[in-house]
Amino acid sequence: MRACFAILACFVATSLVRAENHVTWEITPPVCGPGQPFRLKVTIESDDALGPANQVGREIKPPRGMALRFSGQVFRANATEATLNFSGVAPEEEGNYILPAFNARFPSQMVLVPAITLIVSNKTGYRKEGRARAELVLPERTFYVGEKITGSVVMRGSEQETVTGTFGLECEAGGFTFQTEGSSFTQPLQDGHGLMKPFDLTPIRAGQSEFNLSGIMLVNTGDRISSLNISGRDRPFNFRRKLTVEHVPETGRPADWGGSIGKLEVTPPDLSNRFPEVGEPIKLKLTLVGEGNLERIIAPEIPGTDTWDIALASELRQRRSEGRRTFIYTLVPRLPGDLKTPAVRFPTFNPDSKKFETVEFVAVAVKVSGNAPAKVELVTIDPSAKLGTPAAKTVTGLLTPTVAAGVKGVAKIEPLAASQPFWLSNSAALVALLLTTAIISVVGYFAAHPEFLIRRQARGNLRRARTAAQYALRRQDYAAYARAMTQGLRAGTAPLLNAEPLALTQSDILRALPTASPTLIEAVFLTAAGEKYGAKDARQTIAEDAQLQAMLNTLEAQL
Amino acid sequence: MSRLLPLLTLWVLGATAPLQAGVGEAAYERGDYVGALQTWRAQAELDGVTAELLSAIGNAEWKLGHKGRAMVCWERALLLSPRDPVALAGIKHALGAGGTDRPTQTWSENYAAFLGADLWLILGALGFWGTLLAVLVPKLRRQPMGDWTQRILITSATLFALSIPGLYGAYTLASRAVVRRTEVPVKLTPTLLGEALNGTAEGDVVRTGRKLNGHTYVTSADGKGGWMKSTELEPIWGGALPVNLDQPQAP
Repeated sequence: MRACFAILACFVATSLVRAENHVTWEITPPVCGPGQPFRLKVTIESDDALGPANQVGREIKPPRGMALRFSGQVFRANATEATLNFSGVAPEEEGNYILPAFNARFPSQMVLVPAITLIVSNKTGYRKEGRARAELVLPERTFYVGEKITGSVVMRGSEQETVTGTFGLECEAGGFTFQTEGSSFTQPLQDGHGLMKPFDLTPIRAGQSEFNLSGIMLVNTGDRISSLNISGRDRPFNFRRKLTVEHVPETGRPADWGGSIGKLEVTPPDLSNRFPEVGEPIKLKLTLVGEGNLERIIAPEIPGTDTWDIALASELRQRRSEGRRTFIYTLVPRLPGDLKTPAVRFPTFNPDSKKFETVEFVAVAVKVSGNAPAKVELVTIDPSAKLGTPAAKTVTGLLTPTVAAGVKGVAKIEPLAASQPFWLSNSAALVALLLTTAIISVVGYFAAHPEFLIRRQARGNLRRARTAAQYALRRQDYAAYARAMTQGLRAGTAPLLNAEPLALTQSDILRALPTASPTLIEAVFLTAAGEKYGAKDARQTIAEDAQLQAMLNTLEAQL
Repeated sequence: MSRLLPLLTLWVLGATAPLQAGVGEAAYERGDYVGALQTWRAQAELDGVTAELLSAIGNAEWKLGHKGRAMVCWERALLLSPRDPVALAGIKHALGAGGTDRPTQTWSENYAAFLGADLWLILGALGFWGTLLAVLVPKLRRQPMGDWTQRILITSATLFALSIPGLYGAYTLASRAVVRRTEVPVKLTPTLLGEALNGTAEGDVVRTGRKLNGHTYVTSADGKGGWMKSTELEPIWGGALPVNLDQPQAP
C-alpha cells in the first residue's frame, strides 16, 4: 500500500511540474525621440520545444499614440528558443509608455510576455523632419598644452535626409595639431540616423586661437522606404570656435611629472620571472590605460637601488586608438632574498579638476636565489659581464648639474664664422696682401726691364715731335718743322741704339733706318741747324714730308 | 609697460638680492625645478650663458616637461663645451627614454665636435695665413726660402688641411635645429595646407636646408626630407636661452 502511494505521489509530482520560461526584450534605440520608429525584439527561452507562435499581434494593446505591429518571428523546429520581432513608432509626447503584458501562444504552451516600457525623450536628437545637419562636439573648457582632446563631428540625419558618409575633413587651427583615425573611419549613431567622425586635437602653444573645421557630408534625400526615389548630394559644413589654451600650472606640479594630462589608470605590473637568480635580468612591464595623451608621456625614471639595477628597456607603442601605453624596464637583482620591485608613482594632470593626481604601480614580490657577490657594485646590467671584474656603471638619466657662480658667459651663442668683423678683417688683410704683392711684382718687373719704360717714353717723344712738325708745317715755319722732325728721328732712334737722343747724328739715324734716304736725312738735319751751318732752302725738305713721316712711322713701329 | 615691469622687478631683485652660489642646485636637488629654473634664468640674463648653466637649465626644463627647450639648451651647451657631461647625459637620456630623435653624426661632425667650431675656424685661419705668408714673403723679398720659412710652411699647410674637415663638420653641425612644437608635420610642399609626409615630436633635432615661403627644408633623423614651418623650429646656433614661442594672450 505504501509503495502504491509513493508511485502515485511521483506521478502527481511530475504532472504538476511546469516548464520554466525566460523572456527578455530589447528596444532599439533604447530611448526614442517623439515619433521615432523603433524595433522591439522579444526573446523567449523555454525548457520545452517552442515552435512557431500563433496570432501574436492579436492580444497586444499598445498605449495611446504608439503604433506597433508584429513584423515576424525567428524559430527552428524542436528548438527551445524563439524570437518575436515588432516594429513600431513612438508617441509624439515625451514620457514612459508601458506596453501591457500579453501572451504568446506556441503549439506546446502559452508564454506570458511581461509589460515592456518604452522611454520617449526629446533629448535623443532624433528629428522626424528637417535637413541633415552637422554638430561639433568639443569640451567647453580651458585646454592645456600637450593634452589630447577627443572631439567629434556628429552628422545627424532625419527621416527625409539620411547621412551616408563624409569626406574632406580639414582643420585650420594655429597652435593645434589635428589628427583623425583615417578618412574612412566613421561610427554610426546609436539611433541609426547619422554618423559620427571622431578626431583628436592637441594644443601646442598657449594663448587663444581660432579653431576652424570644415568638411563635407554625403546626404541621401527622398523616401527611405522607396529605393527608387533616393538621390544623393554633398553638403559642406564648417565650424569656428575660439579655444583658450594654457600651460599646465607649475604650482603644485610634482617633480616627477612626465607630461601626462588626462584620467589615467594603472594595470597590475607584469613581471617576466618572479624567481630569478642574482644578476639575471627580468622584465617589468608597466601599462597605463585611460583617456589622455598617452603617446606623449615621458617614460618615468626608476632609479636603481641597493637591491636592483634598473634600465628602461623599451616601449610598446600602441596605436592612438588603443588607449594604453606600456613601458618595459629591465631589472637586475643585486642581492638574493625576498625582494620587492620598486613601486612606481605616476603623476598626471586632470584637466577637469585642474589638479595633479598620482597613480601608482604597486610593488611585486620577487624571490631571488643565488649568492650575493663579494662587491655589490660588481653586478651590472650586462648579463655577460663577469662578477669578478669591475664594470663601469651605465650612465642613465640626467646628471646632477653644478653651476659655478660669478662666471661670465656670453649673451648670445654665435659662431665666429657668423662674425662680420672676423671676415671683414681677414678679407681686408687678404686684399691688402694681394695688392702689395701685385704692386711689388710689377715694380720689380719694370725695374728688371727698364727698356720698356725707355721705349714707352721714346714713343711719347716721337709722337709729340710729329705733332709739333705738323703744327709747324701748317704755319709754314720750315725751320721749326725741320727741328721737330729731327727731334722725332732722334727720339725714335735713341732706344734702338741705347744712346741719348741729343748725341745722335745723321749716320746714327741711318743705322736704325738703313733703307732711308741719306740725302733727305742730311737735308733735314742741315735745315734744323741751318743758322749754324748755312742751310739750303728749307722748302725742299718740306716737300719730302711724306718720306719723313714714313721714317717716323717705321721707328715707332720698332719701339 | 607690461613688458617693462618684469624687467624692472628683475633688476630690483638683482640689485637687492645678488644671486648666491648653489641656490639653483639646492632647489633642483629638492625637486623645485621651477625655482631652480627661475634662479638659473636670472643668472643667465645677468651674466650670460655658459655651458654649465645651459646644461642645468636643460635639466630643469626637461623635468618640467619642456622637451624642446631642454634639447635646445643641451645642444647649445655642447656648442660652448663639446664634452659637457651633463649635456651629453641629458641628450642621451632624451634619445633613450624621452623618445626624441637626433640625426646620427657623420665622421666629419664627430671630428668637428672634438674642438668646437670657433677653434676650428681659428686654426684654419692661422693655417691659411701661415701658408700664404710663408709662400709670399720670400717671393716678395726675392730670397730663397729659409729653413724656418719651410718649417712654418709645412706646419701651416698641415694645420690648414686638418682644419678643412673640421670646418665642414662644424658647418653641417650648425645647420641643425630643434623642433619646438608638438607633433609638427613634415610636409611635401612649403605651403600652409601641404600634404603631411610624417610627423616630428617636440625635441627632435633635424638638419635644416634652404628656406622658402616661411618654411624650412628639413631632414629628420631617419633621413626623410620635407618642409616644416620655420616658426616651429629653433636653430641651435644664434641664441642663448630658448625663445618663448607661446602666443601672446589675445586682448
